[in-house]
Amino acid sequence: MHNTFPQQLSAAFIRSLLTHIHSRLLASCSLVAQSHIHSSLPLPAKNWERKNRVVYPPQLPDEPRRPVEVYHCRRQIKYSKDKMWYLAKMIRGMTFDQAVAQLQFNDKKGAKVMLEVLLEAQEMAVRNHNLEYRSNLYVAESFSSKGQYLKRIRYHGRGMFGIMDKVYCHYFVKLVEGSPPLKKATTGFDQAKEYVQQLRNRTIIHSL
Amino acid sequence: MRGFDGVLVSRSSMALIERLRLSWSTLECALLQAFGLQRRLVPALVIEAPVNFPPYESEPRDNDQSDSSGFLDSIFWMAAPKKRRTIEVNRCRRRNVQKLEKVKNNIEVCQDCGRLKLKHVMCAFCYQKVVHETALVRAQIQAQEGRPHNTPPVENVVLYAGEKATEADEGKRIIERNRKRPAWFTVDS
Repeated sequence: MHNTFPQQLSAAFIRSLLTHIHSRLLASCSLVAQSHIHSSLPLPAKNWERKNRVVYPPQLPDEPRRPVEVYHCRRQIKYSKDKMWYLAKMIRGMTFDQAVAQLQFNDKKGAKVMLEVLLEAQEMAVRNHNLEYRSNLYVAESFSSKGQYLKRIRYHGRGMFGIMDKVYCHYFVKLVEGSPPLKKATTGFDQAKEYVQQLRNRTIIHSL
Repeated sequence: MRGFDGVLVSRSSMALIERLRLSWSTLECALLQAFGLQRRLVPALVIEAPVNFPPYESEPRDNDQSDSSGFLDSIFWMAAPKKRRTIEVNRCRRRNVQKLEKVKNNIEVCQDCGRLKLKHVMCAFCYQKVVHETALVRAQIQAQEGRPHNTPPVENVVLYAGEKATEADEGKRIIERNRKRPAWFTVDS
Protein backbone atom coordinates (compact mmCIF):
# COMPACT_ATOMS: atom_id res chain seq x y z
CA MET A 1 0.00 0.00 0.00
CA HIS A 2 1.28 3.52 -0.80
CA ASN A 3 0.48 5.07 2.57
CA THR A 4 2.40 2.58 4.71
CA PHE A 5 5.73 3.87 3.32
CA PRO A 6 5.79 7.17 5.27
CA GLN A 7 4.83 5.27 8.44
CA GLN A 8 7.68 2.79 7.94
CA LEU A 9 10.07 5.60 7.07
CA SER A 10 9.18 7.63 10.18
CA ALA A 11 9.44 4.61 12.49
CA ALA A 12 12.77 3.60 10.98
CA PHE A 13 13.98 7.19 11.15
CA ILE A 14 13.06 7.51 14.83
CA ARG A 15 14.66 4.17 15.66
CA SER A 16 17.89 5.03 13.86
CA LEU A 17 18.00 8.48 15.46
CA LEU A 18 17.48 7.03 18.94
CA THR A 19 20.19 4.40 18.46
CA HIS A 20 22.51 7.13 17.16
CA ILE A 21 21.83 9.30 20.16
CA HIS A 22 22.20 6.41 22.61
CA SER A 23 25.53 5.44 21.08
CA ARG A 24 26.67 9.06 21.32
CA LEU A 25 25.55 9.17 24.98
CA LEU A 26 27.41 5.96 25.78
CA ALA A 27 30.52 7.30 24.06
CA SER A 28 30.39 10.51 26.03
CA CYS A 29 29.71 8.54 29.25
CA SER A 30 32.83 6.47 28.65
CA LEU A 31 34.83 9.66 28.04
CA VAL A 32 33.65 11.15 31.33
CA ALA A 33 34.29 7.99 33.40
CA GLN A 34 37.60 7.68 35.25
CA SER A 35 40.36 5.68 33.56
CA HIS A 36 40.77 2.22 35.02
CA ILE A 37 44.56 2.13 34.59
CA HIS A 38 46.13 2.19 38.04
CA SER A 39 49.20 4.39 38.35
CA SER A 40 51.01 5.20 41.58
CA LEU A 41 51.78 8.78 40.51
CA PRO A 42 48.81 10.62 38.95
CA LEU A 43 50.25 12.22 35.83
CA PRO A 44 48.97 15.77 35.36
CA ALA A 45 48.19 15.63 31.68
CA LYS A 46 46.36 18.96 31.55
CA ASN A 47 48.10 22.32 31.39
CA TRP A 48 46.92 23.94 34.59
CA GLU A 49 48.07 21.08 36.77
CA ARG A 50 51.46 21.11 35.05
CA LYS A 51 52.09 24.73 36.03
CA ASN A 52 52.89 23.69 39.58
CA ARG A 53 55.83 21.59 38.34
CA VAL A 54 57.83 24.57 37.06
CA VAL A 55 61.19 24.66 38.86
CA TYR A 56 63.18 27.88 38.84
CA PRO A 57 66.97 28.01 39.25
CA PRO A 58 68.11 29.02 42.74
CA GLN A 59 67.89 32.74 43.38
CA LEU A 60 70.99 34.89 43.78
CA PRO A 61 71.39 36.70 47.12
CA ASP A 62 70.72 40.14 45.67
CA GLU A 63 67.55 39.14 43.77
CA PRO A 64 64.19 40.10 45.23
CA ARG A 65 62.41 37.12 46.73
CA ARG A 66 60.12 35.40 44.24
CA PRO A 67 56.57 35.18 45.65
CA VAL A 68 55.02 31.71 46.00
CA GLU A 69 52.52 30.83 43.27
CA VAL A 70 50.12 27.93 43.50
CA TYR A 71 47.91 26.70 40.68
CA HIS A 72 44.93 24.52 41.50
CA CYS A 73 41.81 23.39 39.69
CA ARG A 74 38.89 21.02 39.94
CA ARG A 75 37.49 19.25 36.88
CA GLN A 76 33.98 18.16 35.95
CA ILE A 77 32.05 20.05 38.63
CA LYS A 78 28.31 19.43 38.21
CA TYR A 79 27.45 23.11 37.76
CA SER A 80 27.03 25.61 34.93
CA LYS A 81 30.11 27.47 33.72
CA ASP A 82 28.14 30.70 33.38
CA LYS A 83 26.89 30.53 36.97
CA MET A 84 30.38 29.61 38.19
CA TRP A 85 31.78 32.64 36.37
CA TYR A 86 29.88 35.05 38.64
CA LEU A 87 31.49 33.57 41.75
CA ALA A 88 34.93 33.42 40.11
CA LYS A 89 34.56 37.09 39.13
CA MET A 90 33.56 38.00 42.68
CA ILE A 91 36.73 36.65 44.30
CA ARG A 92 39.17 37.86 41.65
CA GLY A 93 41.78 40.08 43.30
CA MET A 94 40.59 39.49 46.88
CA THR A 95 42.83 38.41 49.71
CA PHE A 96 42.56 34.74 50.63
CA ASP A 97 40.73 35.36 53.91
CA GLN A 98 38.28 37.75 52.29
CA ALA A 99 37.55 35.27 49.49
CA VAL A 100 37.01 32.44 51.98
CA ALA A 101 34.65 34.62 54.06
CA GLN A 102 32.58 35.62 51.01
CA LEU A 103 32.33 32.07 49.72
CA GLN A 104 31.45 30.73 53.15
CA PHE A 105 28.32 32.86 53.33
CA ASN A 106 27.29 32.64 49.68
CA ASP A 107 24.24 30.47 49.08
CA LYS A 108 25.18 29.18 45.63
CA LYS A 109 26.15 25.57 44.97
CA GLY A 110 29.40 26.56 43.26
CA ALA A 111 30.51 28.52 46.32
CA LYS A 112 30.90 25.36 48.38
CA VAL A 113 33.03 23.70 45.68
CA MET A 114 35.14 26.83 45.23
CA LEU A 115 35.75 27.05 48.96
CA GLU A 116 37.04 23.46 49.00
CA VAL A 117 39.34 24.21 46.04
CA LEU A 118 40.74 27.32 47.74
CA LEU A 119 41.43 25.51 51.00
CA GLU A 120 43.09 22.63 49.13
CA ALA A 121 45.27 25.13 47.25
CA GLN A 122 46.29 26.80 50.53
CA GLU A 123 47.20 23.41 51.99
CA MET A 124 49.27 22.59 48.88
CA ALA A 125 51.05 25.94 49.09
CA VAL A 126 51.98 25.45 52.74
CA ARG A 127 53.07 21.84 52.36
CA ASN A 128 54.77 21.70 48.97
CA HIS A 129 55.56 25.23 47.88
CA ASN A 130 57.38 26.68 50.87
CA LEU A 131 54.73 29.21 51.82
CA GLU A 132 55.55 30.91 55.11
CA TYR A 133 52.28 32.44 56.28
CA ARG A 134 49.16 30.64 55.15
CA SER A 135 46.97 33.75 55.04
CA ASN A 136 49.52 35.85 53.15
CA LEU A 137 47.85 34.91 49.86
CA TYR A 138 45.65 36.61 47.32
CA VAL A 139 43.61 35.33 44.39
CA ALA A 140 45.55 36.31 41.28
CA GLU A 141 43.50 34.37 38.73
CA SER A 142 40.14 32.71 39.05
CA PHE A 143 37.95 31.51 36.20
CA SER A 144 35.67 28.73 35.07
CA SER A 145 35.40 26.85 31.81
CA LYS A 146 33.18 24.29 30.12
CA GLY A 147 33.60 20.64 31.06
CA GLN A 148 32.49 17.62 29.05
CA TYR A 149 28.70 17.54 28.80
CA LEU A 150 26.40 14.54 28.83
CA LYS A 151 23.50 14.62 26.41
CA ARG A 152 20.00 13.48 27.24
CA ILE A 153 16.64 13.58 25.45
CA ARG A 154 14.04 16.05 26.62
CA TYR A 155 10.54 15.08 25.51
CA HIS A 156 8.25 17.81 24.14
CA GLY A 157 4.64 17.45 23.02
CA ARG A 158 3.49 15.97 19.72
CA GLY A 159 6.36 13.53 19.47
CA MET A 160 8.95 16.32 19.32
CA PHE A 161 12.16 16.05 21.29
CA GLY A 162 15.09 18.18 22.14
CA ILE A 163 18.61 17.24 23.20
CA MET A 164 19.27 18.32 26.80
CA ASP A 165 22.82 19.00 27.97
CA LYS A 166 23.86 17.88 31.46
CA VAL A 167 26.37 20.64 32.14
CA TYR A 168 29.73 20.30 33.85
CA CYS A 169 32.41 22.92 34.41
CA HIS A 170 36.02 23.23 35.48
CA TYR A 171 37.25 25.80 37.99
CA PHE A 172 40.81 27.18 37.99
CA VAL A 173 42.49 29.32 40.62
CA LYS A 174 45.97 30.80 41.06
CA LEU A 175 47.03 31.95 44.52
CA VAL A 176 50.06 34.22 44.92
CA GLU A 177 51.90 35.15 48.10
CA GLY A 178 51.67 38.70 49.32
CA SER A 179 49.05 41.43 49.37
CA PRO A 180 46.89 41.98 46.27
CA PRO A 181 48.05 44.64 43.81
CA LEU A 182 46.18 47.92 44.13
CA LYS A 183 43.65 48.40 41.38
CA LYS A 184 43.87 51.82 39.77
CA ALA A 185 40.38 53.32 39.91
CA THR A 186 39.67 54.37 36.32
CA THR A 187 36.62 56.36 35.44
CA GLY A 188 34.45 55.57 32.47
CA PHE A 189 35.82 58.62 30.67
CA ASP A 190 39.40 57.37 31.09
CA GLN A 191 38.45 53.93 29.82
CA ALA A 192 36.78 55.48 26.78
CA LYS A 193 39.88 57.62 26.13
CA GLU A 194 42.09 54.50 26.33
CA TYR A 195 39.81 52.68 23.91
CA VAL A 196 39.96 55.52 21.39
CA GLN A 197 43.74 55.67 21.78
CA GLN A 198 43.96 51.92 21.09
CA LEU A 199 41.95 52.42 17.91
CA ARG A 200 44.27 55.23 16.88
CA ASN A 201 47.39 53.12 17.49
CA ARG A 202 46.37 50.53 14.91
CA THR A 203 48.62 50.38 11.84
CA ILE A 204 47.10 49.76 8.44
CA ILE A 205 49.30 47.27 6.66
CA HIS A 206 49.95 47.29 2.92
CA SER A 207 48.96 50.91 2.63
CA LEU A 208 50.64 53.99 1.21
CA MET B 1 -10.71 -5.81 -17.70
CA ARG B 2 -7.53 -6.36 -15.73
CA GLY B 3 -7.03 -5.19 -12.13
CA PHE B 4 -3.67 -4.26 -10.42
CA ASP B 5 -2.65 -7.88 -10.02
CA GLY B 6 -3.43 -8.78 -13.61
CA VAL B 7 -6.50 -10.72 -12.39
CA LEU B 8 -9.58 -10.53 -14.66
CA VAL B 9 -12.30 -8.48 -12.83
CA SER B 10 -15.53 -6.80 -13.91
CA ARG B 11 -15.96 -2.98 -14.21
CA SER B 12 -18.37 -2.64 -11.21
CA SER B 13 -16.12 -4.65 -8.89
CA MET B 14 -13.15 -2.46 -10.01
CA ALA B 15 -15.07 0.65 -8.89
CA LEU B 16 -15.94 -1.06 -5.59
CA ILE B 17 -12.29 -1.97 -4.99
CA GLU B 18 -11.26 1.60 -5.85
CA ARG B 19 -13.73 3.06 -3.30
CA LEU B 20 -12.60 0.57 -0.63
CA ARG B 21 -8.97 1.55 -1.24
CA LEU B 22 -9.74 5.26 -0.90
CA SER B 23 -11.67 4.78 2.35
CA TRP B 24 -8.87 2.57 3.76
CA SER B 25 -6.26 5.22 2.90
CA THR B 26 -8.23 8.01 4.60
CA LEU B 27 -8.73 5.79 7.69
CA GLU B 28 -5.00 5.03 7.82
CA CYS B 29 -4.09 8.72 7.50
CA ALA B 30 -6.45 9.59 10.35
CA LEU B 31 -4.90 6.87 12.55
CA LEU B 32 -1.36 8.05 11.75
CA GLN B 33 -2.23 11.63 12.64
CA ALA B 34 -3.77 10.45 15.91
CA PHE B 35 -0.63 8.51 16.87
CA GLY B 36 1.69 11.33 15.73
CA LEU B 37 3.78 9.07 13.50
CA GLN B 38 3.08 11.13 10.39
CA ARG B 39 6.34 12.68 9.35
CA ARG B 40 5.76 16.34 8.56
CA LEU B 41 8.38 18.71 7.23
CA VAL B 42 8.86 20.82 10.36
CA PRO B 43 12.04 21.53 12.38
CA ALA B 44 12.72 19.12 15.28
CA LEU B 45 13.06 21.64 18.12
CA VAL B 46 9.63 23.21 17.85
CA ILE B 47 7.52 24.46 20.74
CA GLU B 48 4.38 25.63 18.93
CA ALA B 49 2.09 23.28 17.00
CA PRO B 50 3.33 22.28 13.53
CA VAL B 51 1.23 23.35 10.55
CA ASN B 52 -0.47 20.55 8.63
CA PHE B 53 -1.53 21.12 5.00
CA PRO B 54 -2.84 17.80 3.73
CA PRO B 55 -3.13 17.93 -0.06
CA TYR B 56 -5.78 15.23 -0.29
CA GLU B 57 -8.42 16.94 1.91
CA SER B 58 -11.64 17.10 -0.07
CA GLU B 59 -14.34 17.42 2.66
CA PRO B 60 -15.63 20.95 3.47
CA ARG B 61 -14.33 22.46 6.74
CA ASP B 62 -16.64 22.26 9.80
CA ASN B 63 -17.26 24.95 12.40
CA ASP B 64 -14.93 23.48 15.00
CA GLN B 65 -12.20 23.20 12.32
CA SER B 66 -12.43 27.00 11.73
CA ASP B 67 -11.52 27.62 15.43
CA SER B 68 -8.39 25.43 15.11
CA SER B 69 -7.50 27.06 11.78
CA GLY B 70 -7.81 30.47 13.52
CA PHE B 71 -5.41 29.22 16.21
CA LEU B 72 -3.08 27.80 13.58
CA ASP B 73 -3.13 31.13 11.72
CA SER B 74 -2.16 32.95 14.90
CA ILE B 75 1.31 31.30 14.99
CA PHE B 76 2.34 33.66 12.24
CA TRP B 77 1.70 36.41 14.82
CA MET B 78 4.14 35.08 17.43
CA ALA B 79 7.18 37.15 18.37
CA ALA B 80 10.51 35.88 17.07
CA PRO B 81 13.98 37.42 17.19
CA LYS B 82 14.90 39.30 14.04
CA LYS B 83 18.67 39.10 14.36
CA ARG B 84 21.17 37.06 16.30
CA ARG B 85 22.23 38.72 19.54
CA THR B 86 25.96 39.41 19.24
CA ILE B 87 28.35 38.30 21.96
CA GLU B 88 29.04 41.95 22.84
CA VAL B 89 25.35 42.57 23.49
CA ASN B 90 25.10 39.30 25.39
CA ARG B 91 28.10 40.22 27.54
CA CYS B 92 26.63 43.66 28.34
CA ARG B 93 23.48 41.96 29.57
CA ARG B 94 25.13 39.14 31.50
CA ARG B 95 27.88 41.18 33.12
CA ASN B 96 26.16 44.39 34.11
CA VAL B 97 26.59 45.37 37.72
CA GLN B 98 23.09 44.36 38.77
CA LYS B 99 23.77 40.73 37.79
CA LEU B 100 27.20 40.37 39.37
CA GLU B 101 27.52 38.71 42.78
CA LYS B 102 27.31 41.25 45.58
CA VAL B 103 30.11 41.32 48.13
CA LYS B 104 28.74 40.93 51.68
CA ASN B 105 29.81 43.52 54.23
CA ASN B 106 28.04 42.03 57.28
CA ILE B 107 30.52 39.27 58.11
CA GLU B 108 32.14 39.49 61.55
CA VAL B 109 34.02 37.26 63.98
CA CYS B 110 32.14 35.29 66.66
CA GLN B 111 33.20 36.40 70.16
CA ASP B 112 32.89 32.92 71.67
CA CYS B 113 34.60 30.60 69.18
CA GLY B 114 36.48 32.96 66.87
CA ARG B 115 34.97 31.67 63.64
CA LEU B 116 33.16 33.85 61.10
CA LYS B 117 29.49 34.64 61.38
CA LEU B 118 26.93 36.99 59.84
CA LYS B 119 25.94 39.91 62.04
CA HIS B 120 22.26 39.05 62.41
CA VAL B 121 22.67 35.26 62.47
CA MET B 122 23.98 32.98 65.18
CA CYS B 123 27.45 31.52 64.69
CA ALA B 124 27.08 28.15 62.92
CA PHE B 125 29.62 26.39 65.15
CA CYS B 126 28.07 27.65 68.38
CA TYR B 127 24.66 26.60 67.07
CA GLN B 128 25.97 23.11 66.39
CA LYS B 129 27.23 22.95 69.99
CA VAL B 130 23.72 23.80 71.21
CA VAL B 131 22.17 21.26 68.83
CA HIS B 132 24.47 18.52 70.13
CA GLU B 133 23.72 19.27 73.78
CA THR B 134 19.96 19.43 73.05
CA ALA B 135 20.13 15.99 71.43
CA LEU B 136 21.78 14.59 74.55
CA VAL B 137 19.13 16.18 76.80
CA ARG B 138 16.41 14.72 74.58
CA ALA B 139 18.04 11.28 74.79
CA GLN B 140 18.01 11.62 78.59
CA ILE B 141 14.31 12.56 78.52
CA GLN B 142 13.56 9.56 76.32
CA ALA B 143 15.42 7.28 78.75
CA GLN B 144 13.43 8.74 81.66
CA GLU B 145 10.05 8.39 79.96
CA GLY B 146 10.64 4.87 78.69
CA ARG B 147 7.83 4.64 76.13
CA PRO B 148 6.29 7.22 73.73
CA HIS B 149 3.40 9.50 74.82
CA ASN B 150 4.57 9.32 78.44
CA THR B 151 5.33 13.03 78.94
CA PRO B 152 4.08 14.41 82.28
CA PRO B 153 2.21 17.74 81.96
CA VAL B 154 4.84 19.71 83.87
CA GLU B 155 7.75 21.99 83.02
CA ASN B 156 11.27 20.65 82.64
CA VAL B 157 14.47 21.83 84.28
CA VAL B 158 17.94 20.62 83.30
CA LEU B 159 20.42 20.19 86.14
CA TYR B 160 24.08 19.57 85.53
CA ALA B 161 26.64 17.83 87.78
CA GLY B 162 26.75 19.19 91.31
CA GLU B 163 23.59 21.32 91.04
CA LYS B 164 20.61 21.15 93.33
CA ALA B 165 16.97 21.93 92.57
CA THR B 166 15.91 25.30 94.01
CA GLU B 167 12.47 26.13 95.49
CA ALA B 168 11.58 27.84 92.21
CA ASP B 169 11.87 24.40 90.57
CA GLU B 170 9.07 22.89 92.73
CA GLY B 171 6.79 20.65 90.72
CA LYS B 172 9.03 20.60 87.64
CA ARG B 173 10.47 17.49 86.02
CA ILE B 174 14.21 17.29 86.60
CA ILE B 175 16.49 16.10 83.81
CA GLU B 176 19.99 15.29 85.01
CA ARG B 177 23.11 15.59 82.88
CA ASN B 178 26.37 14.41 84.39
CA ARG B 179 28.70 16.98 82.98
CA LYS B 180 29.73 20.50 83.81
CA ARG B 181 27.19 23.17 82.89
CA PRO B 182 28.16 24.69 79.50
CA ALA B 183 28.96 28.38 79.55
CA TRP B 184 26.21 29.31 77.15
CA PHE B 185 23.46 27.51 79.15
CA THR B 186 22.75 30.17 81.74
CA VAL B 187 20.58 29.63 84.85
CA ASP B 188 17.41 31.71 85.14
CA SER B 189 17.78 34.02 88.09
